[in-house]
Amino acid sequence: MVDFPERGGRGRLPLTVIGGYLGAGKTTLLNRLLTQTHGVRLAVLVNDFGSVNVDADLIANRDGETIRLTNGCVCCSIGDDLAFTLHDLADRADGPDHIVVEASGVAEPNRLAGYAASHPRLALDGIVVVADAETVRTRADDKYVGDLIRLQLASADVIALSKTDLIDAEACRRVRRWIEGEVPRARILEAAQAGHFTEFLFSGRTQPPRPACEGAEDHRRIFATWTFTREQPLDGAALRATIAALPPAVIRAKGFVSLAEAPGRRFVLQLVGSRWSLEPEEAGTAPAALSLGRSVVVCIGLADQLDTAQLATLFAPTSPSVFPPAVAALLRGEKSP
Amino acid sequence: MPGPVTVFSAKKIITMDSAVEEATHVAVRDGIILEVGTLDDCAAWGPYTLNDQFAGSILIPGLIESHAHLLDGLLWAKAAYVGAIDRRDPSGKLCKGVNNIPALIGRLKEIEARMPDATTPLVGWGVDPSLNDPIVPITRHDLDEVSKTRPIFLLHASCHIAYVNSPTLALANYAAIKAPGVLRDASGAPTGELQEVAAMMAAIKAVAADMIGGSTDATQFFNFARVAQARGTTTIVDGGGSTYFEPAFLKAALAATAAPDFPARIHAHNNGITVPTADDMIKFAAMLEGKGNDKLAFGGLKILVDGSNQGFTGRLRPPGYLGSGANGLWNRAPDELKELVPALHKAGLQVVAHCNADQAAEAFIDAVAIAQDQKPRFDHRHFMVHGQLLDESLLRRMTALGIHATLFSNHMYYWGDFHRSHTFGAFRAAAMNPAATALRLGMVVAAHSDTPVSPVDPLLTMWCAANRISASGRVLGAKERVSAYDALKMMTFNAAFLLHRDHEIGSIRVGKRADFAVLGHDPLAVDPTAIKDIPVRATILGGRVFPVAD
Ligand SMILES: [Zn+2]
Repeated sequence: MVDFPERGGRGRLPLTVIGGYLGAGKTTLLNRLLTQTHGVRLAVLVNDFGSVNVDADLIANRDGETIRLTNGCVCCSIGDDLAFTLHDLADRADGPDHIVVEASGVAEPNRLAGYAASHPRLALDGIVVVADAETVRTRADDKYVGDLIRLQLASADVIALSKTDLIDAEACRRVRRWIEGEVPRARILEAAQAGHFTEFLFSGRTQPPRPACEGAEDHRRIFATWTFTREQPLDGAALRATIAALPPAVIRAKGFVSLAEAPGRRFVLQLVGSRWSLEPEEAGTAPAALSLGRSVVVCIGLADQLDTAQLATLFAPTSPSVFPPAVAALLRGEKSP
Repeated sequence: MPGPVTVFSAKKIITMDSAVEEATHVAVRDGIILEVGTLDDCAAWGPYTLNDQFAGSILIPGLIESHAHLLDGLLWAKAAYVGAIDRRDPSGKLCKGVNNIPALIGRLKEIEARMPDATTPLVGWGVDPSLNDPIVPITRHDLDEVSKTRPIFLLHASCHIAYVNSPTLALANYAAIKAPGVLRDASGAPTGELQEVAAMMAAIKAVAADMIGGSTDATQFFNFARVAQARGTTTIVDGGGSTYFEPAFLKAALAATAAPDFPARIHAHNNGITVPTADDMIKFAAMLEGKGNDKLAFGGLKILVDGSNQGFTGRLRPPGYLGSGANGLWNRAPDELKELVPALHKAGLQVVAHCNADQAAEAFIDAVAIAQDQKPRFDHRHFMVHGQLLDESLLRRMTALGIHATLFSNHMYYWGDFHRSHTFGAFRAAAMNPAATALRLGMVVAAHSDTPVSPVDPLLTMWCAANRISASGRVLGAKERVSAYDALKMMTFNAAFLLHRDHEIGSIRVGKRADFAVLGHDPLAVDPTAIKDIPVRATILGGRVFPVAD
């Protein structure tokens, strides 16, 4: 397992948007994010500061509408102007490793995601939409907000299904199937699992959690990782096609890759749910031990869904063939061009 | 000791009082109306000074702008007006609209030539290409013709879009900004059009940092009042986005409005727009209760329910926007309204709700119905702002629940054609802002400009309500035209009623404040299509004359 370096400093500052309608459970998820031991200095920007509910012994200090936690996270109110708050965090030398923005219950998360591109350092990491398993289907037909609920679900890279404990297993399966019908290729997690997934959803790091904290057993059972390694540069077009075709069971992926089309450079792969990017690496972000030309991609997903054999098949065509392209395509069972 | 009595004479005084409609003289003492009638009637109060400078003019109650934004005053203070609509600046100078790109470039060059140094950014406001002829986008190439070295930043009339030149793009490092609202040409270079805050932010920080709200600049208050006063306004509403609950802002507002030459009364709604929760709204409203002065009062709590119709963000009932069937944005979720509105209603507050399209109106009406069910209240005077797509069934529910409205009649003129062809289609464009039906159902209805969205000019708004003529000359919904009398009542007494101030302003009646507008012609006698062209000679505020320059 390659240990990717921590985020921070002046490089890319990932931003995650958490959306979902009023009462869907965004606050519960945010409170969990803030207080978990995950080693990431999160800045969580919330709409309703009053709803943040953090144990007093986890609070380092409180200053107006900002709470600093002992784990290095901060939570502050979005205030009048989200763009202003984000730019302030991005310009700060002692800024966070990762920003999480809570979208208001009526926001279209895509619109907020636009803010991630408003500053050179900020980069959208993903949109997580929390949906109330008990009410999401009824709400999706509501005359006032039905269209909004559907828009929110459609904009999600990962859907976190909340309040699954309030319904029975069959109802839960039904609502999941309904979402899968509404949002093809939806990545669906239960919100309680999303809490366990904080490291992956919100850090940009990909090593599994250290088994030091309590509940590590749970983590292990819930997720699985699969690592793809190649010593030869990959075929860029094939890699892009593979990433686009990854099954919904892959919730997060990250990698450093070398491409045959651009020798001497390295690229960074980021994937959260259905959103992914493959961009040239900023100098110095890759692990020192990773030699140029070598590629490592780590995929993380739910243990009971991640089909590692399927992943191996999907990644196979990414290695450039020694045969000419037309022959290679034939070998892969494709039609000759 | 009561002060001296002044008697103003006029060719005709239109009182807008339901009992006594006309007079020729009005006696004023200590800012309050002492008598209304003939000179002899006024003389019954003893010695007086006769002021007959308006003897050839028409006196009406001071006009009331029932929905506007202080931002108008800040824009005049910080930026040059370069929009397509004619507007008068705070000094009274007419800024002719520029409605095509060559004219815009010409205007910007004039402004540029007057700037004292070579580096200060040129910041403009009020641009709206949809009102241009032809409608073509503004690009950095156009603005580079004005200057290739000085940063230029032009704000769209909606405040949601900016147009910048190449020096601004370079200064703010747009090469590194990938926000989707940064429009790009085929080569991938920014066109200079920046849509929405996320895209505009870097440019604002680099060249127009003082355009960001929260300014305590005294000029904004004066500008806001002066522009309105020049068109006969004596009371103007600051519609809810300002932060009077911040001590520094309140102090600036109190200091500005306390000046004896401050030319109008500001009626400020409490802020339910940037304040998120009912508890804080109630707390701030209580804190500001009675904190004003003679020319600054606080009342009503303003909330936003949806967006804007011309921006395609109003919340419509089916079938949605013309052609696309799309719908707009909620600013507050209907489920939140069901708790927020009853909480404010129970706290005894007056709720003022921005509902542009009909689904937003329906959600607000539903919320008031819940509030009235939980705690029946008479005469709360909750009112809707804009209500542009109200129909008879929504209006009837509103009257049943005691909800009134100030309509956005100016839209009929400025955006009527646009609504007909782009947003609502023929039927709904003709049915917009149904003042006649609302009045017939007994609702107390006013109308407004929403400046800076459209220019503050109550006579123009009155003209819009009475004529419903679009910019291209088409009459939209003749059945919803109101009489000149009703239109004038919308801009005076009815507006005062919405502000819970009809006992002190809004008509010329003994005991009320001596707030008048002095007009060159009789608005009830001229052809209704000429109402907007009536000259305003002066306003009288609490008995003090505020002249208007011609
Ligand atoms: Zn407004």
